[in-house]
Amino acid sequence: MPELTLAEKLEILADGAKYDVSCASSGSSRRNKGGIGNGAQCGICHSWTADGRCVSLLKILLTNACIYDCAYCVNRRSNDTRRVMLTPAEVAELTIGFYRRNAIEGLFLSTGVVKDPDHTMELLIEATRILREEHRFNGYIHVKVVPGADLLLVERLGRLADRVSVNMELPSRESLKLLAPDKSREAIVAPMKRVGELIVQTKEERKVSRKIPPFAPAGQSTQLIIGASGESDLQIVSLAAGLYGQLAMKRVYYSAFIPVNRDERLPAVIGTPPLVREHRLYQADWLMRYYGFAAGELLDEERPNLDLALDPKAGWALRNLHLFPVEVNRAPLELLLRVPGIGVRSAQRIVGARRGGHLSLEDLARLGVVMKRARYFITARGRFAADLAPDAAGLRARLTERTLPRPRWSQPSLFDGAGTMDLQSTITGEL
Amino acid sequence: MILRYDGTFAGFLSAVALARDRSVQPESITDREPDQQGLFTTIEEVATDRDRAGELYALIRSTLPPGALQTLRYAFHASDPDRGTLLFHYLMLGLATGPRFNSMLAHEAVMPVWKLARAVGREAHRYKGLVRFQQLEGDVWYAAMEPDHRILPLIAPHFAARFADQRWIIHDPRRGEAVVFDPARRKWAETFLEVTAPLPLTAGEELFRDLWQRYFDRLAIEERRNPKLQRQNLPLKHRRHLPEFDGK
Ligand code: SF4
Repeated sequence: MPELTLAEKLEILADGAKYDVSCASSGSSRRNKGGIGNGAQCGICHSWTADGRCVSLLKILLTNACIYDCAYCVNRRSNDTRRVMLTPAEVAELTIGFYRRNAIEGLFLSTGVVKDPDHTMELLIEATRILREEHRFNGYIHVKVVPGADLLLVERLGRLADRVSVNMELPSRESLKLLAPDKSREAIVAPMKRVGELIVQTKEERKVSRKIPPFAPAGQSTQLIIGASGESDLQIVSLAAGLYGQLAMKRVYYSAFIPVNRDERLPAVIGTPPLVREHRLYQADWLMRYYGFAAGELLDEERPNLDLALDPKAGWALRNLHLFPVEVNRAPLELLLRVPGIGVRSAQRIVGARRGGHLSLEDLARLGVVMKRARYFITARGRFAADLAPDAAGLRARLTERTLPRPRWSQPSLFDGAGTMDLQSTITGEL
Repeated sequence: MILRYDGTFAGFLSAVALARDRSVQPESITDREPDQQGLFTTIEEVATDRDRAGELYALIRSTLPPGALQTLRYAFHASDPDRGTLLFHYLMLGLATGPRFNSMLAHEAVMPVWKLARAVGREAHRYKGLVRFQQLEGDVWYAAMEPDHRILPLIAPHFAARFADQRWIIHDPRRGEAVVFDPARRKWAETFLEVTAPLPLTAGEELFRDLWQRYFDRLAIEERRNPKLQRQNLPLKHRRHLPEFDGK
């Protein structure tokens, strides 16, 4: 076979990496120290793809060759595809070239496993080192950790990268065994734990001396595939809660399963991937991280799966009608956050604005409250906004999004009301 | 009475100072050419007085809470023809209320200005991603953009910090304005600029353009195709200067 050009390799390696959804580059505040590049605190999108996703990073594989055979993966050993590989120097050169043109925020580097996990990790570290040391690049770098690699290599990588991640992919030990037989739960969890420890430890050390190099200052993240195996939303959400709580995880990404291989171990997927479920999981995740909800408040053994027709916050409110309506001029922030139609920002605005005087119902819309939803749950100066107080069933009907949310990809401010969600004709089949 | 200023921030502050000195409520404060309505009202041309403007600015700084100052700065860069008048009422209220001003978001003199500032802030943030440099012979990096608002001075600091070792120009050809960055002095400056000849692109530019287009085309996941969402996130007007939408 003739040698491929750099452009052709790039196409193949971009193809292999695009199913990984973690695209957010926010959370790095790396400064430009006499070279090129810095991190932006809130994510910057440089373009949007034909599926509507934000393009923020150069997202590529070092190689699409792999010694493993995970059922759901395009790059698995048993697939008959052309295998290519970039040198670490080529990865660095592509990154710098795009970055100088302001086409990207940085690099997201993943890879198949060549030879063995340690050898693969060395190559990833080398690409990162060239960028940082030779190109003096201070932009964002997110690198995948290869499960099973030596923990010392994990540490070296974290000293160079802004974010590292180990993909969990499957929510349970059993699914992992069935679908990714070469990767054990231990091989995935061990580096996650080590990364979590080093992040916490380094933060402490850096309080004493800024000379100590940061370790993955933008934290670690992971990804779960939704719908390739039989776990319930309760299992998934509880797992996420544990990852946030115990492993200092910054983000958990959920990715609706897209079948790229034919394999009898995988569910037969008809039509489109479970995008609505993915969207609801992101909402639940958001509620846990920013709205103070516990996993057990959103789901329990009786109702192990999220309602596809109703956002989980509205669902919670309907089960807890005895707490409403709340008076917006008095309710504490924590309670305001639980009102459907009031997002984090509008809740904060309410708390700020009511110091200057009692708020009326009219003021609320101006502060960003989605009155269409909120009016059933609030009073302002004792006035109730809705024409009537419907019972739970009536409310449910009113809060059901007749138009379904479109899947959001990057940092959604899901309950902030901007732009009512509407149904994509492509996913109507889900309901 | 209509007060007309020269379009600069100092000019605007001069107009506000003048209205305050004479305790008049101008019908509007503008930098536009007068239209027919001008026939029935008096228009006063305000001479920019840097000293008076500086004094007023010092007063504003010491009276308004920091968030309000930022709102003022952003809203001033909006292309809204009424911005001068809106900002005048905003400032008068702010100077009268002081620290309490921050909790008056719902006030009718505050909300419209806050909205303008938000629109400008959003556009400025968006263009941090949409400015796209091309490498020219002589090692200059050039980008063209056509924003709704006058955001050049608002985004320049971001690019100055990020591309501190590059000689770059960001150009707003519609307004004929540009910011130019000098890496040796680490300083940027505003200037007027018109490009009349084709840009002398480097050879590397062609290579990277091709690489980027191919990369971009591969990114979309077919099963999730959603041009409506793409258009909502990236309206067609923003695609003019992006190589990935070349000729599409
Ligand atoms: S190890 Fe990674 S690249 Fe290799 S088959 Fe499994 S998922 Fe694919």
